[in-house]
Amino acid sequence: MNFFKRAWLNIWVKKGRSLLLILVSSAILMFVLAGLLIRSAAVKATETAKNEAGATMTLSANRQAAFKKMRQNSSRSSSKTSRPKLTLTPVKLSDATKIAKLSNIKTSNVTSSTSANAKSYDTVSTTSGMGGNGGGPTGMKSSASSGDTQIDGVTATSLTTTFSEGQSKITKGRGITANDKNTNNVVIEKELASQNNLTVGDTMTLKKTSGNKATVTIKVVGIYTASSTSSASAGPMSTDPANTIYASYTLANTIKGSKYAGTADSVTFNVTNPAKVSTTKKAGNQLISSQYSLSTDDASYQSVKASMANVAGFANKIVWLVAIAGTVILALIVILMIRERRFEIGVLLSLGEARWKIVAQFFTEMLMVIVVAIAIAGAGGKFVGNQLGSQLVSQSTTTQTTTNATSDQPGGQPGGTKGSGPGNRQAASTKAKDLNLEIAVSAVDLAELGGFGLAITFLSIMIAAGGIIRLEPKKVLIS
Amino acid sequence: MLKIQDLGYWYQDEAHPLFQGINLTFESGKSYAILGHSGTGKTTFLSLIAGLDKPKAGEILLGDHALKQIGLTNYRRHDVAIVFQAYNLFTYMSPMNNLLTAMAITEAEHAGDRAYAKQILNDLGIGDNLVDRNVQQLSGGQQQRVAIARTMCCDAQVIVADEPTGNLDEDNTKAVIAQFQRIAHEQNKCVIIVTHEPDVAAQCDHQYRLENKQFTKLT
Repeated sequence: MNFFKRAWLNIWVKKGRSLLLILVSSAILMFVLAGLLIRSAAVKATETAKNEAGATMTLSANRQAAFKKMRQNSSRSSSKTSRPKLTLTPVKLSDATKIAKLSNIKTSNVTSSTSANAKSYDTVSTTSGMGGNGGGPTGMKSSASSGDTQIDGVTATSLTTTFSEGQSKITKGRGITANDKNTNNVVIEKELASQNNLTVGDTMTLKKTSGNKATVTIKVVGIYTASSTSSASAGPMSTDPANTIYASYTLANTIKGSKYAGTADSVTFNVTNPAKVSTTKKAGNQLISSQYSLSTDDASYQSVKASMANVAGFANKIVWLVAIAGTVILALIVILMIRERRFEIGVLLSLGEARWKIVAQFFTEMLMVIVVAIAIAGAGGKFVGNQLGSQLVSQSTTTQTTTNATSDQPGGQPGGTKGSGPGNRQAASTKAKDLNLEIAVSAVDLAELGGFGLAITFLSIMIAAGGIIRLEPKKVLIS
Repeated sequence: MLKIQDLGYWYQDEAHPLFQGINLTFESGKSYAILGHSGTGKTTFLSLIAGLDKPKAGEILLGDHALKQIGLTNYRRHDVAIVFQAYNLFTYMSPMNNLLTAMAITEAEHAGDRAYAKQILNDLGIGDNLVDRNVQQLSGGQQQRVAIARTMCCDAQVIVADEPTGNLDEDNTKAVIAQFQRIAHEQNKCVIIVTHEPDVAAQCDHQYRLENKQFTKLT
């Protein structure tokens, strides 16, 4: 094993050359490590996206089935004076409960919206408003008269997109929670509160728009601010966004009328594993009748997944390109080194040294260099990976956002809840934009880098070894 | 010890051999000088007896075994040691490490024995202050003595030297040739020196001249 000693002596005595080799190898391995880190970070980010970006499934009335029924009724009816009515069946909460019990369902949010007229307070009027309140966030409201106050009944405000994505924020008190079920607690907008000198703990009254038009007293438990983007999706016929009051869906149902008890406009389910959303949808469809439909929205997850797939793919290319280029570069360096040291090789051969041991000496020398280079790359790879990764993510998410923007079609499931409507597409894009790779050097990454370093060294030495195998000592030593 | 039988060698074709039908015997305990002008093939002859090349015709025998039977690598490792005109030391090593490396590769009896290597170096005038210095810091004469020491520390029975005094001054030349004589006579080794200097050849026990593709014994 004399070649170990020779390798060490050579590396130690020729410090300048060794340093140069270490620098070149470090640069190569640093980029290999950066690629590896970005790749593993992209995989991790995709995993995280499953939990954070999430996907939703919405149970609502089947509009297509309702239209079909309406057309059938229309053809059967002999009367030309009476126009057929579109009847949307409210979602039964008992059905929603069955779906909520599916294994991939994390949480659910019941949405029931309606409107009422202000009694003890004045609504915020919008100077550029069109007036009236023709549409609501759900199709259900078509059966009720419209009021000047929008009541969005939910299970919890934190489960709605507007709050979870930060478009609306609780500034005082608290939001609506599941504990507010069967209470008259509400959360009102800051402008509405300010205009009417209302604060948390105060009560206000409103009047139903249908039935006996009874008065309902509600209690303010929280105040929120709505950003300007909230109104963007509300449509031209809506009231000012400041007139939207959040309450428990039970209160919304009470205002709508007794026949709406135990129902909802829609129920949105947050799924645990977005990758299995279609399987969950299939299972859910088996639990409901054709009057209802289940729609899925995993845009956030798909957006993150696509971005990360791009990043991981590019990182993979970096790893292989740098590894191949590194092998070629190192092979060329070793070939030059062998040419420079042909006399030494000749003397070794004249002493009777086996050719494989001479190759082993060069391999050992390069191995010593690579070990130091791995340590340097390990220290610097995180920095390079961070720089490269953030650049890649930024490019990738920009491309993805553009793709989303061009592929988004209007007319999605209306409603402000998570997982539906165009507003949610925006949220998906926002999430993708905010995505950041967490670059960290782990033992596994270093082991993988070591493997690449070893392979690069081995291949470069093997490529260059031809020079040693073919070298004839007579030609070198005796001239 | 070393028998040359009908040895022939050519580069281009057999019709124009460098030498052909050479029959010689080199014995242990003696020194031989091979003289000849440039281009006569004396260095090629040396490369053949050093096991660096294969003869095109004839055979070289070590004792009763042909070199092709022994294997050239094996022969170089155990039976022959070479001194080159350009010294060809390991430039990144000290004289001591040059010797230890040679001893390790040739699997010499004293492999790894620093004291033994140091004694040989001291005997050749490489003092204690030089043994661990890089060989590139030594003079030409000192480097040639290290090269000779390298052949002595191995257990090779045949020592071949290609113009070993070519780069040395007169004093160093005398010292080096005297050393080769001692190796031959005291260690009972067969020393074959290729040279073009008659003064150097005159100090060896036997002299051959390579001329007109044939060897002629001078003394």
